[in-house]
Formats: sequence, C-alpha cells, structure tokens
Amino acid sequence: MRYQNATAYRFLTPYLLIFAIFWVWPIISSFMISFQATRTVPWRFAPTFNWGRLIGDPAFFNALKNTLLILVIQVPVMISLAIVMAVLLNSPLLKVRGLYRFAFFAPVVVGEVAYSAVFRLMFNLDFGIINKLLASVGLAKIDWFSNVTPAMALIMIAVTWRWAGYNAIILLAGLQSIPEDVYEAATLDRVSKVKQFFYITLPLLKPVIVFCAVLSIIGTMQLFTEPFLITERGGPGGGTETLGLLLYRQGFRSLNFGYASAVAYTMAGLAIAITLVQLWLTREPK
Amino acid sequence: MAAVTLTNVLKRFGSYEIIHGANIDIADGEFVVFVGPSGCGKSTLLRMIAGLEDISGGEIAIASKVMNDVEPAERGIAMVFQSYALYPHMSVEQNLSFGLRMTGNPKQDTERRVKRASEILRISELMARRPKQLSGGQRQRVAIGRAIVREPQVFLFDEPLSNLDAELRVQMRVEISRLHKELGTTMIYVTHDQTEAMTLADRIVVLRGGHVEQIGRPLDLYDNPDNQFVAGFVGSPKMNFIKGRVVGRNTRSVTVELVGEEKTRIMQPLAGAVPETGAKVIVGVRPEHFGNGGEGDADLTVGIDVVEHLGGTSFIYARTAHGEDLVIQRDAAKVPDTSEITVSIRKSYLFDENGQRLR
Repeated sequence: MRYQNATAYRFLTPYLLIFAIFWVWPIISSFMISFQATRTVPWRFAPTFNWGRLIGDPAFFNALKNTLLILVIQVPVMISLAIVMAVLLNSPLLKVRGLYRFAFFAPVVVGEVAYSAVFRLMFNLDFGIINKLLASVGLAKIDWFSNVTPAMALIMIAVTWRWAGYNAIILLAGLQSIPEDVYEAATLDRVSKVKQFFYITLPLLKPVIVFCAVLSIIGTMQLFTEPFLITERGGPGGGTETLGLLLYRQGFRSLNFGYASAVAYTMAGLAIAITLVQLWLTREPK
Repeated sequence: MAAVTLTNVLKRFGSYEIIHGANIDIADGEFVVFVGPSGCGKSTLLRMIAGLEDISGGEIAIASKVMNDVEPAERGIAMVFQSYALYPHMSVEQNLSFGLRMTGNPKQDTERRVKRASEILRISELMARRPKQLSGGQRQRVAIGRAIVREPQVFLFDEPLSNLDAELRVQMRVEISRLHKELGTTMIYVTHDQTEAMTLADRIVVLRGGHVEQIGRPLDLYDNPDNQFVAGFVGSPKMNFIKGRVVGRNTRSVTVELVGEEKTRIMQPLAGAVPETGAKVIVGVRPEHFGNGGEGDADLTVGIDVVEHLGGTSFIYARTAHGEDLVIQRDAAKVPDTSEITVSIRKSYLFDENGQRLR
C-alpha cells in the first residue's frame, strides 16, 4: 500500500510543483507584500502602511460601496430571474427546449470584449437601440455613461444578462432532481401550482439557490470586466469603480503591489464573510 | 366510500396502445388488487383512476360520477406512492397536514385528522421527525397517513411495499389489511407480487400486456384459473406445465399422454368442448398436487436436481426424462435421499395450445 501511494505521489509531483509555484506561493507572497511599502526601492517592511491606508482611503470605500451595491441589488435580481428561467425551461409545455438552453447559456461563452462593445453600442446616447426604444414609448433618453446611477444600472444589467442563463442552467439541474411524484402527491393534496412552487419547489431548490448565490457573491466581489470595458475603467468619475478595478488600478497602473495585495485580501475576506453569513442564514434547521 | 367502475378504458401513448379496453367493477368498500408482471399496465391504470394520466378512451366513474375530465384533486381519492413521495423538507406532522393547511381546512379539524391518522398508524412519536430520519417502514406509514387525513372515498396504493425488506413487507401487509378493516374504504392496490395480492385482496385483477386476463377472488383464481398465464402467475412456487398430447377422447373427457412419458396418461373430465385426438395440450400441476407414487391417476418418475428444505415443507426441483423442469412440494420428512423420485399426479389442469383453459 505504501509503495502504491509513493508511486501515486510520483505521478502527482509535476502537478503539485506547478500548483505550489504558481498558486500557493503567489497567495503567500501577496499576503507578505501587503505588509510592505512597495513604492520605495527597495521595498521595506511596514506592517501598517497599506492596511492603515485602506481604512482611511475614500477610493477604497467608494469601490467597496459600489461593489456592495451591485451585490445587494444585482445578485438577488439575477437569481430570481434565473429561477424563473429555470422553471420555464423545465416546463413540459416548452418546445425546442435545447435551443432555449443554448440561448440562455450562450452569453457565458461570448467573448467579454465583444459583448462589452455590443453593450456600449446598444446603450449609446445618440444611436443606441435602448434609447431608441425608450424614445419610441415617449420616454426621455438616458445618458448611460455620463451619470452614475444609469451607469451602475448598466453594469447590473450587463452582469445579469451574462450570468442569469448560467445560473438558470444550474438551477434547472436542481429542479430536475426534485422527484415528479412529490408534485403528484401535492396535486392530489389539492395544492395549487403556485403554492407548489412556493412550498415545495423553492424549499427543495434551496441548496442549489445557495450554491448559485455563493458563486455570484464571489463573482461580484471580483467584478472587473464590465466596469473596465463598458463604463470605461469605472466611470463616470469612479462612479462604477469596483474593488476589482481598484486593485487593478493600484497594482498594474500605479505599480503599488503592497496596497493592491491588501485590497485583494480584503476582497477575499469580505467574500468569505458574506458567504458564511449567508450559509448561516440559510442553514437547515436541525 | 365509493364504488369504482372502469368501462372500456383505453390508454394510448401516441399510436401505441397500452391498455386495451379494461372493464372492471369495484364495489363500495372492496379491496381490489391489480397484479401482473412489469409493463402490464397496472400502474398506468391506477394513475388513470387517480387522474394523473389522461384517459384515451372509455369511462372511469367513482361513486357513479364520470371522472374522465375531473381534476385529480376533485376525485375524492388519495394515493400512496411506491417511493412514498413525502415532502423531504417537512416534518411528519407537516407532511400529514400540508394538503389540509394549503386548502384552508379549519385548524381544529386538521389537527383532529392528523391525530387520528397518527394513532391509527402508531406514528404519534415520530411527528417532529423529517422523512430522512425515518426507516422505510415508518416512511410508508407516514405516506399512508397522508392519504388517511384526506378522508378519501377511495385509496389507491401503487406498489407501496416494494421498497421494503421481506420481513417489513409482511408486517406492513398485515397493517394495510387491518387498516382496510378499520376504515372500510374502497382500496385499489397495485403490485407485481402475487403473494401480496393473494393475502390482501377481496378480489384480484390479473393483467397482462394491457389486457385484463381474469378477475376473481384469490382462491377462485388459484383453484380455477381461466388460462395458463393466470395459472402460472398465481401461486408460489408457480404451477408446473408439462407438454401433452390427446390420445383418447369421449364426449365428457380426454386422455392425455405426457410428451416423452408414454406410460403417464391422465384422464381429464371436461364439461365443455373436447379437443381432437392428437391435439397438443398443456398439463398444469401445482407443486402440492404431486402425491407419492401410486396414490394418484398417473405416475411419473423424475430425476432430482436440488432439494430446498424450508422446515416443515421441502421443494424438490426435478426434471422429467423429456427435460421439463418441475417443482414438487413435499413434507420435509418425506423427501427421499435418492437421485430419482416417482410421483403421482393427484390433480391437474388442462390448457389448449394457446394457453386457454379446457374445462
């Protein structure tokens, strides 16, 4: 047995080496960097330099506020939408189900730059289709890129468009794992379809909903692509800057790796904390 | 309580017909078991009565009211599923009361019904548990309890015991029988297990390939099967079938010679049509209808393959000289320690080449 284990570990060694060098070490290294002043040459150990700055940095709190705002508005809306989409996909009345499944999943595989470019065009003030549609029903044009509130809404719409279908497919798998005879029993119990949804489907789908919510929370905490590409690096005036974007700006534009590392650890810590709170709130009663 | 009547009931999936015009009358308070092998349509028929499957043709009536287009919830039935179909996220108490609570039944009445069901099924101490904290037998009790609280006109059971182990199955069988006596409600029960059918039913409906083969009381089916299928399906171990040929006939009887056993001739009285001399027939003999050599009409010497000793009774698995397998039932004390045994055929059934009973 010991010989077999040794052989197995020899086969695993190349992977474990690469994993240690490119995964584990950067995590440890960035943690150590967060305690160094990296704007001086050479870098020097200054434990409160970055973490102290973080506490008093208005840019950090702006990014944190934006990220949390997206989290509390966009994630529940997207999960609710995904549940509705999953229920519709699961309906026996739906024809060409495969086509819809593909269509819902397609946004995930579309290139981020391409979809961002399309969104910029669609929401363009003068010739975007969204403003034309608003005008056609008598509503005023919205300058999506110059005002903070519409810009935030645009980010949320884009993220929802991209990930709602993905979550719907995961939720669909959860829906399909609920035995049909439970619904048949409820039907014979004279429970209406609406009540079946709220009292049977949602409770039985809860573990999958929690899973999707955790994934979404982690994804939102790292949100970067949409504010970078659609609202042009967190514009207008930092109105859509997220923690991911702040990290990028500090680390790769200002080359302040110490502060960027502190931001990165804060993002990870927040994601873990929010996820733990959510798991605690949605735990199964004993 | 209510009578259930099925008149020319058909079920088609696309162009494929799986129930071919079933006619069944179930009396008020009767316990009827649908039995048959897998795929015979028994569960489909039950689900059609429940309203969970559409009816392609014919008519289903409960308490003289045609139910074809009536919603399942409005048919006055309650169903117990093979997989229990309990709500996994609810306690036993919530499982029992869920339907009543959702339909706005008065709280006191709901509590009364739940209490009564839990007492009948002796599950009062399990009320706070969830289904995953229950054994298979307890889950089945809860599933039955959920049906009881509805106070239905008709109970439908879809293979409710097939997920339980043998011992628990026997125990639950007795409980269901007791429940029927206690409630006196019409019950329709689907199973592939003929022992369950024989022990529970007032009447059995034997199904094969979507056709009703025979309807009758358990012992009537056992003693007087209409065809070879029913004869083989009812009884355990099943009836032995030996090929034969008519070698003599008169207006009231035939003499049949077993194929490969020229000395073994059976005289069978017949009230109906008598087959021609030379006609191929099938002789059916139940394991307990083999006597000691010389005791009956015809003796047969067979080679012993295996003997199963079950205590008081033994089953001898034997083979005729022509290679046909037989099961012979004997008192344990009377099993010889030899490789051959001569038995007599004390009672037999005669079937024509198509499996129809000749009587």
